[in-house]
Amino acid sequence: MKLIRVQAIMHKEWREILRDRLFLTLAFVVPASLMLVFGYGISLDVENLPFAVLDQDRSAMSRDYLHRFIDSRYFDYQGDVRSVREIDSLLADSDIRFAIIIPPKFQENLLSGRPVAAQSLIDGVFPFRASTSKGYVIAINAAFNGELLAGYISRRLGVNLEQGMNMVQPVGVQLRYLYNQEVKSTWSIATALIMFVLMIIPPFLTALGVVREKENGSIYNIYASTVSRGEFLVGKLTPYVGIAIINMLILWLMVVFLFRAPFKGDPLFFFVASVIYVICTTGIGLLVSLIVRTQVAAMLMTVVVTIVPSVLYSGLLVPIASMAPQGQFEAHLFPAMYYTDIALGSFLKGIGLEQLWGRVLALSIYAAVLWTLGYLLFHKRPRS
Amino acid sequence: MNRHFTEMNTRLYMWWSRLAAMTVKELLQLGRDGFLMFAIFFLFTIDIVMTGNVRLELNHATVVVHDADHSEASRELIYRFRPPYFKLGGEILDSRQGIRLLDQGKALVVLDIPEDFQKSLLNGEHTDVQVLVDSSNTVLGSLAASYSSQIIGQYGFDAALKRMGVNEKDLENVPMLVDQHRVWYNPNQNDQWFIPISELLVVITILAIMLPAAAVVREKEHGTIEQLMVSPLSPIQILLPKIISMTMVILLGTAVSLFLVILPLFHIPIKGSLLLFFSVTGLYAIATSGLGLFISTMSRNLAQAALLAILVLMPMIFLSGAWTPPEAMPAGLRQAMYFSPLYYFIEMSYGILLKGAGLRVLWDSLLNLTLLGGVIFAIGLWRFRRQFK
Repeated sequence: MKLIRVQAIMHKEWREILRDRLFLTLAFVVPASLMLVFGYGISLDVENLPFAVLDQDRSAMSRDYLHRFIDSRYFDYQGDVRSVREIDSLLADSDIRFAIIIPPKFQENLLSGRPVAAQSLIDGVFPFRASTSKGYVIAINAAFNGELLAGYISRRLGVNLEQGMNMVQPVGVQLRYLYNQEVKSTWSIATALIMFVLMIIPPFLTALGVVREKENGSIYNIYASTVSRGEFLVGKLTPYVGIAIINMLILWLMVVFLFRAPFKGDPLFFFVASVIYVICTTGIGLLVSLIVRTQVAAMLMTVVVTIVPSVLYSGLLVPIASMAPQGQFEAHLFPAMYYTDIALGSFLKGIGLEQLWGRVLALSIYAAVLWTLGYLLFHKRPRS
Repeated sequence: MNRHFTEMNTRLYMWWSRLAAMTVKELLQLGRDGFLMFAIFFLFTIDIVMTGNVRLELNHATVVVHDADHSEASRELIYRFRPPYFKLGGEILDSRQGIRLLDQGKALVVLDIPEDFQKSLLNGEHTDVQVLVDSSNTVLGSLAASYSSQIIGQYGFDAALKRMGVNEKDLENVPMLVDQHRVWYNPNQNDQWFIPISELLVVITILAIMLPAAAVVREKEHGTIEQLMVSPLSPIQILLPKIISMTMVILLGTAVSLFLVILPLFHIPIKGSLLLFFSVTGLYAIATSGLGLFISTMSRNLAQAALLAILVLMPMIFLSGAWTPPEAMPAGLRQAMYFSPLYYFIEMSYGILLKGAGLRVLWDSLLNLTLLGGVIFAIGLWRFRRQFK
């Protein structure tokens, strides 16, 4: 491998990138805007759930109960309905996500010491949202119930309300969240987005850059030259790795200064791990470009191998730990997951090489395999 | 008069036959690119199968326990942390060990039961149980916190009743609220009824934007568009065949995906009209192809087009409720969401497939999609035609 030839190819590629103004702009604008939009936009903190109420009692107690929902920031009150049928069509049209039905004689039964049912109908289409809504409803019901029972006991046993409360709910829960104390999904998501953006953009740039030469035929200049395949690949891809590294630094700064996520780990470790990851994702683009012949195919193949796994198998939205065993296995086949652990570990947990060396090793192996395959698959004398 | 009529007829015939010929050409061009066909096939089948393994639910999350009491009461509480949500990961000697396990990601929850837990319960005193949750993944963290609170709350309630000697029969004479929640459309909150369909809608969106954009830019890059411009074809006749053929591919892929993958594998009960679903899909594909056209008019080569497509696609997918609940979005972006055709497509698709809704309920979403699609398509077409001048 002669350095001067690598430099020449690099120079040529860099010129080409610089001269395509729109492409160059997009190569930096797209990653930053994805981070911006998703960092603010993707959130799993379910709030403002629209709901409706069917109050068949219309008493002071039913209103007191309903106001616990209406006044909560988790819910967005859409009004009263008259019949269950109305609820039906509101749910079907996604105008509301759940409904509460208060039976007749709600107050009368409670005052005369009988249990009453509080019915809620929840839209189950999005299972995560349904679980969350269910959790909110159960918590509000439990709180209301606690007060009811405490009042009942204090009347029956002649103790004060606070004692009654203690008797009904003797066990309290002290919840402590580690790593992300306010459970801000922004912190975790912005951090994981570094993984996501660097998984998508470098492969696209690389795959299209290489296939363009193939499709336009300009690659025949390389075939006919004295440049070896190793020299060509290194020279051709270095500018793309460079762009990706600059993007990585920009994203890092955005996460720290814009989204204010704490960076607790070792910057040098994170930088080195990120460079390995970027080399790895560029390698994915290289591999795609060597398999396909047209740019359209390159574009869709890149979608197949990057977007899908980086959304679902990376831990960005879907926790790997809760997947079915087969899903967990599939997740381990993609590099995204390892880098998510590295990013979250470096930012939120403040752990470094000591705990994460396995992940870094996996990424390095991945990168080595991809580039070796790329080298073996690239021929200066293509069949066909 | 008669002659005039025949002439018009011939013209109309010519117009249609040119359109048909161009559509065949587009289909052939697609079909001959083996890797492209493979990628499309993959997206509609294997990709969807793989998403069937994805869960957005707490599934056997590991709980480790620091039990300082070692009593019957504490054991009973610990025993309530069981599958499917939790599994016990053993006992630890102090809370520092617990934090180490959380650090390494080997446990999600540390349960810390204080000394004299049972004694306080028997004396009717208040006692606190400490729960440490790893919240670096928000989904797991918030679900784990919510479920553990429910379990502990229920345990406390049961213990209180037991101490007061209240049995089940007495409960009928206690004023209390009985929680009766029912989850509709997906009673068991089965993720397999949700994620594969979401993925299908996302795939349709990706293809509906990328394929037409690529089809146009490719002709520009190769220079074949010059040939088409000197032919007797009008801009519409160049453009429509691309959109028609891509929509045909998308509809075919959707049918394959729905009938050969989603229905046999995940046993989703389809409640509504499939004809309506496919009509909506076709309408959506045509509407969003306008975005693809728009992109194609802005770019000179496919690399530019691909980056622009990502810039349009990714926010659209993420902010329309395919992977995250739309209710979780900040207010400003929720307004922007109403301008995303995908938002209406998602609501309608789930409405038809899972909720069994018909046009009577969905007409407003359909109207919105049509209007929005009409505007997008018109802008795309206008930009496309302008290039020829």
